Amino acid sequence: MLKILIPTIMLFFVSWLTPKKWLWTIITTHSLLIASLSLLWFKWNTDMGWDFLNQYLGIDPLSAPLLILTCWLLPLMILASQNHMYMEPIIRQRTYIMLLISLQTFLILAFSATEMIMFYVTFEATLIPTLIIITRWGNQTERLNAGTYFLFYTLMGSLPLLIALLIMQNNIGSLSMLIMQYSQLDLTTWADKFWWTACLTAFLVKMPLYGVHLWLPKAHVEAPIAGSMILAAILLKLGGYGMMRIIVMLNPLTKEMAYPFMILAIWGIIMTSSICLRQTDLKSMIAYSSVSHMGLVAGAILIQTPWSFAGAITLMIAHGLISSTLFCLANTNYERMHSRTLLLARGTQIILPLMATWWFLTNLANLALPPTINLMGELLIITSLFNWSNWTILLTGFGVLITASYSLYMFLMTQRGPTPQHLLSIYPTHTREHLLLNLHLIPTLLLILKPELIWGWTC
Amino acid sequence: TIFISSLGLGTTLTFIGSHWLLVWMGLEINTLAIIPLMMYQHHPRAVEATTKYFLTQATASTLLLFASMTNAWTSGEWNLLEMSNPTSATLITIALALKIGLAPMHFWLPEVLQGLNLTTGLILTTWQKLAPFAILLQLYPLLNPNLLLFLGISSALIGGWGGLNQTQLRKILAYSSIAHLGWMITILHYSPNLTQLNLILYIIMTLTTFLLFKMFNSTKINSITISTIKSPLLTTITLMTLLSLGGLPPLTGFMPKWLILQELTKQNLAIPATIMALTTLLSLFFYLRLCYATTLTMSPNPIHSMSTWRTKSSQPNLTLLIASSISILL
Repeated sequence: MLKILIPTIMLFFVSWLTPKKWLWTIITTHSLLIASLSLLWFKWNTDMGWDFLNQYLGIDPLSAPLLILTCWLLPLMILASQNHMYMEPIIRQRTYIMLLISLQTFLILAFSATEMIMFYVTFEATLIPTLIIITRWGNQTERLNAGTYFLFYTLMGSLPLLIALLIMQNNIGSLSMLIMQYSQLDLTTWADKFWWTACLTAFLVKMPLYGVHLWLPKAHVEAPIAGSMILAAILLKLGGYGMMRIIVMLNPLTKEMAYPFMILAIWGIIMTSSICLRQTDLKSMIAYSSVSHMGLVAGAILIQTPWSFAGAITLMIAHGLISSTLFCLANTNYERMHSRTLLLARGTQIILPLMATWWFLTNLANLALPPTINLMGELLIITSLFNWSNWTILLTGFGVLITASYSLYMFLMTQRGPTPQHLLSIYPTHTREHLLLNLHLIPTLLLILKPELIWGWTC
Repeated sequence: TIFISSLGLGTTLTFIGSHWLLVWMGLEINTLAIIPLMMYQHHPRAVEATTKYFLTQATASTLLLFASMTNAWTSGEWNLLEMSNPTSATLITIALALKIGLAPMHFWLPEVLQGLNLTTGLILTTWQKLAPFAILLQLYPLLNPNLLLFLGISSALIGGWGGLNQTQLRKILAYSSIAHLGWMITILHYSPNLTQLNLILYIIMTLTTFLLFKMFNSTKINSITISTIKSPLLTTITLMTLLSLGGLPPLTGFMPKWLILQELTKQNLAIPATIMALTTLLSLFFYLRLCYATTLTMSPNPIHSMSTWRTKSSQPNLTLLIASSISILL
């Protein structure tokens, strides 16, 4: 555990001390090294599931895939940010890299925390670097509003969580995740219902659930590419991960209290997918598609069956990789035309054919084509939702249909069709961009071969 | 300098006093010593602020004296710790709340702070709070917890809401002071150690903020927006300090809030704890707006040259920065 954490913290100093000529190369190389070391976390040795354990940090099959995804994303973020940062003064570049590294450190601490308060503190701590990345390096004036929405939505959900955790600590005596599942809480009174809501609201806002999702399109659209990547891929999964950790404590109330949130989650799939079909802004489409996929995950976590948990983690990992890929693709368009409007970048298959392949693969994965892990996650979730209530298949099936249609719409709008006359001098795709997209897509394709790695502890 | 030493004398007298008259004398010496410091500039607004300050503090001290005399009349005890009359305990709480500027007795604080220059404002918000808190910390078992809770929650609410419409930095700091004092007073009855911790951390953070504003020589949001040009490093420090005042983890400002919430939930006061936690979101909003104005955006400004450094107050700032921003992760 420390093998990964200390090098990540040391990267802080690396980013301040390397000479200007080698800054990006060295940071990318080191973070790739750390990412490859982190693959060790896939091998878990113990019976109980908690491996690499020390007093404060530990990894179990739920957090291992998310941690590896986090470590994997850091070099990808740095690769992606190279273009829009190279014009800035060197101090600002170093500050930006330092923000990314600090975010990485907090995320590693959050996912490997064994005690809920530590998870809470690092969960909140990830907000500050993300806020700074969005509001300082975003590109439009709306980024201030986006940062405010982001911070306040998340905090309004998470302050009750803090109080709920403190109450839990008073009642049980410890908040360690290792033993939390064994505590028997008698949840019957009306105040306990408030406690139940307080526990889950923070994560539902973060996921986001359909009713409280307004921060997400704003934050994703206004953030620079690294911000969007880390937001879509990992920060949403913090919400899912937290929910999965804490929901083991919340039975038997969950059976009745989950209904409003289930309704919001499943209805949100259809609503946000439909909004996707009417978007003009490419990044906004990807943001709403994130809400839609996360709605499936939220619904799955709330019903708490083994298949649904496995499906939730699988979809989280798959969605993290694919969503990040989509944002990178949208960014390649943005860097050439400085506009996110969908209509301005039509028909680029003729000009950039290899990029069209990546667009194709990514959109196929987004619509959950077999045999991708996206499909595996969605199938597991839809089946377990069908088991919970037969009627959900109507809504989730319809949702899958609309997901397919907007993914195809995205592909056809950007790649096929008439090339506009104004795209006269866009430069060809850099090798760096190809590398970036491949590094996203190769894990996605490889994971199909051994999906047990991302199934978590239930299967 | 005689005034600064008198300030020190006054607070020290209040600290060491166990007879009510000595304590009252220390508070009066404090008030009288700061009056000429506030009047230093002979600006009409400074004069007005001084007058308001003198009137409120004199009222508070008189109320304190009256309460202690009532206690002495009914019980015959002038000792600070023997406060057996509940009426005088309540009166003392209200008097001290007026002295430090807790809601609903806070109305004097924004205007007074606005009339002062930054250094005197610094003394007002940090040093002047020490003496009344010394009394409160000694008296804590005898004070009415419901009253303290009411003062605390209303201060947090009013501190949050009042600061939302301000553009003058000193008024913003006044409302932030009200909100933080509200947090401190809430936990007084249950754990005075936490009140002390919160007070010390608040003093350090406010000291840093005032010194930063003094470095930038700015008193309005308009003038702090060009701070990135004057010194980018200090602007980043301003960002961290403001977020720390807002109580965001992992900065230091989160620690007192967390511990206070923990203590409140242990005492089965979860609902007031939730209310206080949510009201800090209000004050976080104006801290965040200040952050936007200073660090996170660059306002259109034709001055792009490096101006000369003023190293006047940089030394204490450095040590305080470290205390104010460095994260404490469990």
